[in-house]
Amino acid sequence: MEGHPILGNYHNQPRVWDEMFDTAGIRPAYQQFVSSIQDLSVDEMTHKDELAKKLFMSQGITFTVYSSGEGIEKIFPFDIVPRILEAAEWKHIEAGIKQRLKALNIFLKDIYNQQFIINDGIVPAKLIYSCPNFVRQMVNVNVPFDIYTHISGIDLIRDHDGTYYVLEDNLRTPSGVSYMLENRSITYRIFPDLLPKNNVRSVKDYPDLLLKNLVALANRQKSDPTVVLLTPGIYNSAYFEHTTLARLMGIELVEGSDLVVDNHKVYMKTTTGLKQVDVIYRRVDDDFIDPLVFRPDSMLGVPGIYGAYRTGHVAIVNAMGNGVADDKAVYAYVPDMIKYYLNEEPILKNVPTYQLADPDNRKLVFKNMDQMVIKRTNESGGYGMLIGSAATEKEMKAFRIAIEEDPRSFIAQPIISLSSAPCYINGVLQPRRVDLRPYALYGPDGIDIVPGGLTRVALKEGSLVVNSSQGGGSKDTWVLG
Amino acid sequence: MLSRVADSVFWMARYMERTNGMLRILRTNYISSQDEVKDFSWQPLLLSHSDAPAEEVKSIGNNSAKVLQHLLFERNNGASVINNITRARENARAVQDHITKEVWQCLNDYYHLIRSKHIQSQLQQGDPVSALDTLIHHGMLYHGTVDITMARGEAFNYLNIGKFLERAILTADMLNIKLTELNYNLQQPKEVPALRYLLYSLSGYELYLKTHRGNFQADHVLQQILYNNNFPHSVAYCLGQLFRYFQRLETESLPESYKQLEFLIGRAMNNVRYSSIRPSESENLKEFLQQTRSELFSIAAAFNQYYFGNS
Repeated sequence: MEGHPILGNYHNQPRVWDEMFDTAGIRPAYQQFVSSIQDLSVDEMTHKDELAKKLFMSQGITFTVYSSGEGIEKIFPFDIVPRILEAAEWKHIEAGIKQRLKALNIFLKDIYNQQFIINDGIVPAKLIYSCPNFVRQMVNVNVPFDIYTHISGIDLIRDHDGTYYVLEDNLRTPSGVSYMLENRSITYRIFPDLLPKNNVRSVKDYPDLLLKNLVALANRQKSDPTVVLLTPGIYNSAYFEHTTLARLMGIELVEGSDLVVDNHKVYMKTTTGLKQVDVIYRRVDDDFIDPLVFRPDSMLGVPGIYGAYRTGHVAIVNAMGNGVADDKAVYAYVPDMIKYYLNEEPILKNVPTYQLADPDNRKLVFKNMDQMVIKRTNESGGYGMLIGSAATEKEMKAFRIAIEEDPRSFIAQPIISLSSAPCYINGVLQPRRVDLRPYALYGPDGIDIVPGGLTRVALKEGSLVVNSSQGGGSKDTWVLG
Repeated sequence: MLSRVADSVFWMARYMERTNGMLRILRTNYISSQDEVKDFSWQPLLLSHSDAPAEEVKSIGNNSAKVLQHLLFERNNGASVINNITRARENARAVQDHITKEVWQCLNDYYHLIRSKHIQSQLQQGDPVSALDTLIHHGMLYHGTVDITMARGEAFNYLNIGKFLERAILTADMLNIKLTELNYNLQQPKEVPALRYLLYSLSGYELYLKTHRGNFQADHVLQQILYNNNFPHSVAYCLGQLFRYFQRLETESLPESYKQLEFLIGRAMNNVRYSSIRPSESENLKEFLQQTRSELFSIAAAFNQYYFGNS
């Protein structure tokens, strides 16, 4: 790629799968895109980059960091070069996620009811009961249509040979879908004509699909059930997403204090008095949703809402207690679940996972700590994590002590190198590591996955952590039709 | 509509109206401080538009640049323009699904504008009038955006109720401030420039000239500011509009709430309409303004109680 102002210095890293280049040149998915941008000058590209930032700022697609008094407006860093997937790749991913979600959903139903999987010795009872996110209150609760995971985000990564692995299942309140939608709306502003030319599949159906599923959950015999989105409020870092989704679906955005429970029914306080609520898409965590049942100090929830849910007067999405299925130690059993419940071979691979509650695993991991990622089982957002290759001796020692004290709360995985994708940084394209989070919607009519999802990128050179709280950004994700 | 949403929309409109009013007052006062008025003092304005401690206000004194800085950009002054815009935006943020995207973006831009270095340096080193004009224009953009994009539903009604209630309060307040400066003595042989500036601030000077052809009298000024139904800042006009938008809420109100508010607004409207104020009766005038203000505040309190669920 010599001679091109933007592509000139792009180098593949050894033992890293690059999304755009292979040894022979540009991969087919990227060819059309590259041919449209390769003649642009650095100035033109930089101009596009600045335009994107300006659009994010003026549309208020920001999150506020309250560090010292007045909040600082920040935009979620956006890289203008899209991540492109071919139709066949996407088909594979889609099938894999659907299979996985089916199994996970049956698992949740099973674990909160008959527990066949424990009785048959597939998953140890101890693992489930020691999981802090196993919600006893959900045992024997009837969930509408037996669906627990209405909205999920499955994090995928690619190893050096291009194989997709599932890194994490997010089955509680996965966020980021609004960035998927906004990134697309920015892309067509900065790259006119490129989307139709490349035959990129649209993501704009997401709100409609979601609303259709939510409406279907209503229990009252009513043509227009009341569906609301429950947000923790404007100080939540995902608040922008909550408003965007509420607006796109045309539903009411409520805070905990807007709702009240009377006789196991949930009402919202309106200017015309109380109005019954049928379905709640909640973005408040389990712990905070009902102070009478969970954390008593929660100001974000609604007292009595659990009772209303249990009696079936209101549907809550996602169901409570899903954390037991996306626990990082339970994750290791997902391939077994797929075999046990569906009698199928897993389509998407799991990253090999060592549970540190097992003394043999512990020994093995301690010996090879520099080649391992060690994670706390119930944390997310890139926190509570140690990447062996980049850790200091002192950090390793601290982790060793913590693991010895509470081995159930840790797992270890071999370091997967994560694929790289080109990012426009400082006037040139540079490879940065990415993952992919497609969003799946599970409704009474089946599972829908909008083509694409959110590609998160570790903007620091060499970094493997893509979380936005740790210096990560995002890219628009194209699935070619 | 959620009570909280109605509350936020109402306050968003009030903060925006307050912002607009303040910017105009600052503009006229700044110009008059540069122009003909001798011994111009910022103190009355500072006292009414700042919640900073009295010593701090004293220390600002009559330095125009400092005064503008304090009233526009000072975060520690709870009544400063930047704080008003921030609050309007926070309210808008909490009801983004009830205002249009355009209105939200306009407010968001306004917030970024007043925080920009450019505006602040223009105020300090350049021409403060241009800086104020830029801010005022953006406020107008907001009003236009609301008018053009918002559906004529509940949210729009609450926006207008907030706007006209705040405007009525502002007009009454500004009149009160000016009259207090003059000790409520309007029987002065010479023309009072303060009243001219008051009309400027309320964008009513041109109307006044057209109506009265340069015959400048305190009585006429009072008539226009209190009673003129064609003057969009007069107390009577604001109350009329307030009532008009309130009536549109009837089908979406609980009957008893509606009755309460209808009574309060109707009474305030009639008290203004059927009053007769002459500049010579300074005691009456003072009392009348006090009463009008307290009636306006009780309307706001009643909305808070009956419609926004904050008892």
